[in-house]
Amino acid sequence: MLRFGRFSIIAGIALIAAGCISTPSPKYQPSISNTESLLKSAVKLRVGSFVAARGVEDKSLVIRGWQLEGGSDGTFGGYLREAAIKELQTASAYEDAGEFSLTGTLTRNELNASIKTGSAIVGAEFVLTRDHEIVFKKSLEARHEWESSFVGVVALDAAVANYSVTVQKLLGKLFADEDFVAAARSKPSR
Amino acid sequence: MSCFDLRRVAMAALVLVSSTGLSACMNLKSYVDPALVPVAKSQLPTVATPKPVSVLFEFRTKGNANPQATSALQGRVIAATAESDMFSKVSSTAGIPDAGILKIIIDNVGDQGNAVAKGIGTGLTLGLAGSLVRDGYACTASYAYKEKTYETTLNHAILTTVGNHRAPPGLTAVTPMDAITQVVDQLVWHALKDLAEKQAFSAE
Repeated sequence: MLRFGRFSIIAGIALIAAGCISTPSPKYQPSISNTESLLKSAVKLRVGSFVAARGVEDKSLVIRGWQLEGGSDGTFGGYLREAAIKELQTASAYEDAGEFSLTGTLTRNELNASIKTGSAIVGAEFVLTRDHEIVFKKSLEARHEWESSFVGVVALDAAVANYSVTVQKLLGKLFADEDFVAAARSKPSR
Repeated sequence: MSCFDLRRVAMAALVLVSSTGLSACMNLKSYVDPALVPVAKSQLPTVATPKPVSVLFEFRTKGNANPQATSALQGRVIAATAESDMFSKVSSTAGIPDAGILKIIIDNVGDQGNAVAKGIGTGLTLGLAGSLVRDGYACTASYAYKEKTYETTLNHAILTTVGNHRAPPGLTAVTPMDAITQVVDQLVWHALKDLAEKQAFSAE
């Protein structure tokens, strides 16, 4: 019995050390300020593909030996895409067959849950096209910090919740960007 | 750091984790603060011509967005708004034609006293030194229709006794989930009552 107990403890530590315990990414919740920005700009968009740039962590982020998984398609590019769709839908700004299409490339994806302060940086290059013509292209980045914890599970929970807050902030920067709004409301030149 | 020091740190951590675990087994009871007098449905003003409304809700913890709590409580906020019978249709989507926008932000501002110190004291005495924690909630609600915006602010709280502490006089214990549900319902109904009394829902 004692040997089995020791084995269980060692196996548990080995699993954590190997980063085998994973948690799904949080359900994305649109923010009020993003909804207000979209209502104010009155844009209508559809959302195309979101991928990750080479070298950017797209499948999982490791926090103290735990793994945070990407969106429903298993990637963080997909998570950002789903977040953008939810934001647009909440503001009735999503148009499946609209002339403007938003795509993105994840350029930075970092999550840290140290003992005192947790932090995340999420960056993306957003591209807006109208009938396959690029009308907006800009790289944006959001940084967010929060109170972390010595206790691993508490720190993990806070990190998971605050990762989606960082994505909220990134999309907030995009929706409030004057160039983006001007491009999304522009008319064809001909 | 010597090996001995490391062992002492590890032992301290073990004691801390153990006391935290034991604390979780302690008696924990929640009570809804009576300072905000409950408003009944019959006390809500009648709106002559109810309009559709889009409800935007956000839960915050000490001023920071808390998406998990927002997701967990959004349904309750929508339901409380619908149960008021002040609107012809209630939606969580904005941008609906002729709909007003009801924005509700509830911020869990926490305990104004020294909750951590109280908690540690209760934990270290295994509940013999009980404590009472007051968890405050500040609500800001606004209603915008066409060019006009009306706003109101409210405060509410959940009182929680931990360990060997007598109940606040005259209050009945409820589960933590029931307590937060009652707090959210009451904040929404009080906010709607205040806004209706400011003629927000009669605006043309």
